[in-house]
Amino acid sequence: MKTLRIILIAVLAIGYSQTFGQSEPIKVAQGYKIDIKTSAVCSMCKEAIEYDLAFEKGEKSATLDVPSKVVTVVYNPKKTDADKIRKRITKVGYHADNFERDSVAYEKLPFCCKDGTHEDEHDPH
Amino acid sequence: MPTVNDFLFITEAIMKFKLILIISTICLSYTSKAQVVSGMVADQKHEPLIGATVLELGTQNGAVTDINGRFQLTLVDKSSKLVVSFTGFKSDTLAADLSKLMHIKLQESLEELGEVTVTASATFMDQLESKHVEIITEAELNKAACCNLSESFETNASVDVSFTDAVSGAKTIRMLGLDGRYVQINRENLPHIRGLIGRYGLGYVPGTWIQSIDVGKGSGTVVNGYESMTGQLNVELKKPETSETLYLNGYVNSFGRMEVNANHARNLSDKWSTAFLFHGDYFASEVDNNNDGFMDLPKSRQFNLMNRYKRTGEKVMMQMGLQVMRDEKAGGQLGFGFGDDFQTSSEYGFLNQTTRVEVFGKTGLLFPHKPYKGWGFIYSGSYTDIDAGFGRNEYTGTEKTGYLNAIYQNIIGNSFHQYKAGASFLIDDFEESYADSAFTRQEVVPGLYYEYSYLPSDKFSLIAAGRVDFHNLYGNFYSPRLHTRYQFSDKTSIRMAAGRGYRVANPIVERSNILVSSRQLIVQEAPEPEVSWNLGGSLVTNFTLGDEDLNLVFDYFYTHFENQLIYDMDQSSNNLFIYNLNGDSYAHSFQVEGKYALSQFVEIKAAYKFYDVRTTIAGRLQEVPFVSRDRFFLNASYATKYDKWKADLTIHWYGSKRLPNTNDKPMELQREAESPDYFHINTQVSRGYRWGSIYLGSENLLGFTQDDPIIDPDNPFGENFDASIVWGPIVGRMVYAGIRYKIKRANN
Repeated sequence: MKTLRIILIAVLAIGYSQTFGQSEPIKVAQGYKIDIKTSAVCSMCKEAIEYDLAFEKGEKSATLDVPSKVVTVVYNPKKTDADKIRKRITKVGYHADNFERDSVAYEKLPFCCKDGTHEDEHDPH
Repeated sequence: MPTVNDFLFITEAIMKFKLILIISTICLSYTSKAQVVSGMVADQKHEPLIGATVLELGTQNGAVTDINGRFQLTLVDKSSKLVVSFTGFKSDTLAADLSKLMHIKLQESLEELGEVTVTASATFMDQLESKHVEIITEAELNKAACCNLSESFETNASVDVSFTDAVSGAKTIRMLGLDGRYVQINRENLPHIRGLIGRYGLGYVPGTWIQSIDVGKGSGTVVNGYESMTGQLNVELKKPETSETLYLNGYVNSFGRMEVNANHARNLSDKWSTAFLFHGDYFASEVDNNNDGFMDLPKSRQFNLMNRYKRTGEKVMMQMGLQVMRDEKAGGQLGFGFGDDFQTSSEYGFLNQTTRVEVFGKTGLLFPHKPYKGWGFIYSGSYTDIDAGFGRNEYTGTEKTGYLNAIYQNIIGNSFHQYKAGASFLIDDFEESYADSAFTRQEVVPGLYYEYSYLPSDKFSLIAAGRVDFHNLYGNFYSPRLHTRYQFSDKTSIRMAAGRGYRVANPIVERSNILVSSRQLIVQEAPEPEVSWNLGGSLVTNFTLGDEDLNLVFDYFYTHFENQLIYDMDQSSNNLFIYNLNGDSYAHSFQVEGKYALSQFVEIKAAYKFYDVRTTIAGRLQEVPFVSRDRFFLNASYATKYDKWKADLTIHWYGSKRLPNTNDKPMELQREAESPDYFHINTQVSRGYRWGSIYLGSENLLGFTQDDPIIDPDNPFGENFDASIVWGPIVGRMVYAGIRYKIKRANN
């Protein structure tokens, strides 16, 4: 029993290190679900990413959580895959897991969506 | 960026807050002085909240945020706390920080305004506005793929649209049961559709140019003049500083009508921006589905171009523009075309050629540290030329108009007491001829007005206003107006309005639909200005039903005419008598409208309307013809997130209408005293893409049409011919398709 547990942990650890911090798609009722870490900083960024993904082929739903910067995408694996979705996010101007953002798209983002513009804000909550 | 106009009409601006792009204003900052706290109130999406209340805790000292969501408040005690509140959001109490521009974010109170209500609603009413105003957004306008302003109200219950006659194809609007000529139609707060373009002018505002429309029921503000009698429409066009870099639209329908629209906007420098708006349409097919030998729709072609400029700045804002428009219509019997001479043609011809040139502009002087204070100058000049023919009769008309309005806005002591004061000047020069008569008229009308707003809290507001205009031909016009609003709770508010309005009629053009008949036009006396009082109110309430709120709006308006120009079609079917009202004339209008989101994607809107509109015609108080006593309206819309898929279905039911008396015609040409009721159904499906959208739709899906809309169509030059007794659709089912292509504006 003990060895089995060690093996299991080892396998999980190897699996984890291989994905290099990226989560893997998991199967859900409507297709596959993936969590992608982005560089979104505000609700305008959320809007931009969710809007763009809504028109991505194979996309079922996309919801970005601003505090954790994670966008959860449900997609049809026959029409797209996780890397295509990540690339699409970079084209909007944001990092997506290991994928670097497109610098041209980033330059075009509104001021509030850029790095370092949210430190001096008063947030009562 | 706020426009001059937005700045000057804060009350109007309040209701536009969802439409305004704010990106560039978010990160502005300025230094604050001792004792003075300043900042900006925004929602979680960083959109500024306009009209949010900022109160110094425990005092009556407060401020209301401006168009940018910014406020400035001189504190009684600099260690005070601020209470920040806004309808639909959780109030917040926090310490005042005088050292910097405060960024205050309020959280939406989800119980009151669920996400669905916000995203699904394309029409909404502003809770804080004192007047009863509905806002039709671009999303709502897209539901009907409308070609022009007259078709923009398909999915709105408050404005009725109907055909005017069986030949010209013109559509007209009605509000509160009364003809659209009693509605003041402004374009960006400049009086626009009036005078000679009063009848066809709605067709001269292309749908793709429109950013939003504010529909105000009842008396309007005095700032825009004396002409708002039953309501006020304000059309906001696409702005140089915010609209798409490129917007292309192509449209074609099953009758053969084609349309091209193209908008382009760009920044010229960090202060100046420009926009070009273009519209062209062409329709030269002959459609005669009812086989009466007359085209059901006239041939038409239009060229319409606007170029506008805007300068933004801290202290001076300016905008100016130029519009050139040429519209031609040729209808009547089959075979009649654009270049034909109606006076010699063997066919009965209807012709209308309108050319219009307009320049307009606004200048605003702002005080950056006093956002409540400002000067505004709005002006326009236009030249309109109409050549028209109705059978053998020729009509020509030219109108030259100059208009200037200077507005000063400030507060009295604190922002609870605000006022606008101003002076306007109108010069309007008419030269008209019809058949063998000629008419000229020159109106010179200087005016003064004052509007006081008392805004002690977000629960109560009162606007008391008055204006006086010194008309060179008709003496002084006194237009008092009163608006008040009280909010019982977060879910229920009531509004009341009363006011008087005036207008000077243009008897030939504004009922030119009656001229497509053998009726002799008989003007029995010199027309006096039309004067009416309007009194009414509305109750808006929300009930929680299941997971969502059912939004209910009840409104009632009463219009009473002191004088009205009567177009009497009843006395004799061979004449149209025009005379001033001698007796009673009134309209009662009652409407109940409900709106409910069935799910995240589906929203239902339904309305019932009751009208009792009576006027003294031929010495007897009788129902005004062509008005349905009862009307029902239902709109169901489905939209997935970001409008990737959208579908709409709109059902109108029109109750029976009284028709003009035709008992003196030969038996076989007589018409019923009342029209039957009928349904009119429109539908549209659209698919959105990152680059734009494609759409497919149908108007008059059931294909219902009025039988024999024209009396005696075989003898158009005979004494019984009449194409003006129209109560229903003339053309049957129409199918259309179109494409929209957009290149979004870069954000910085």
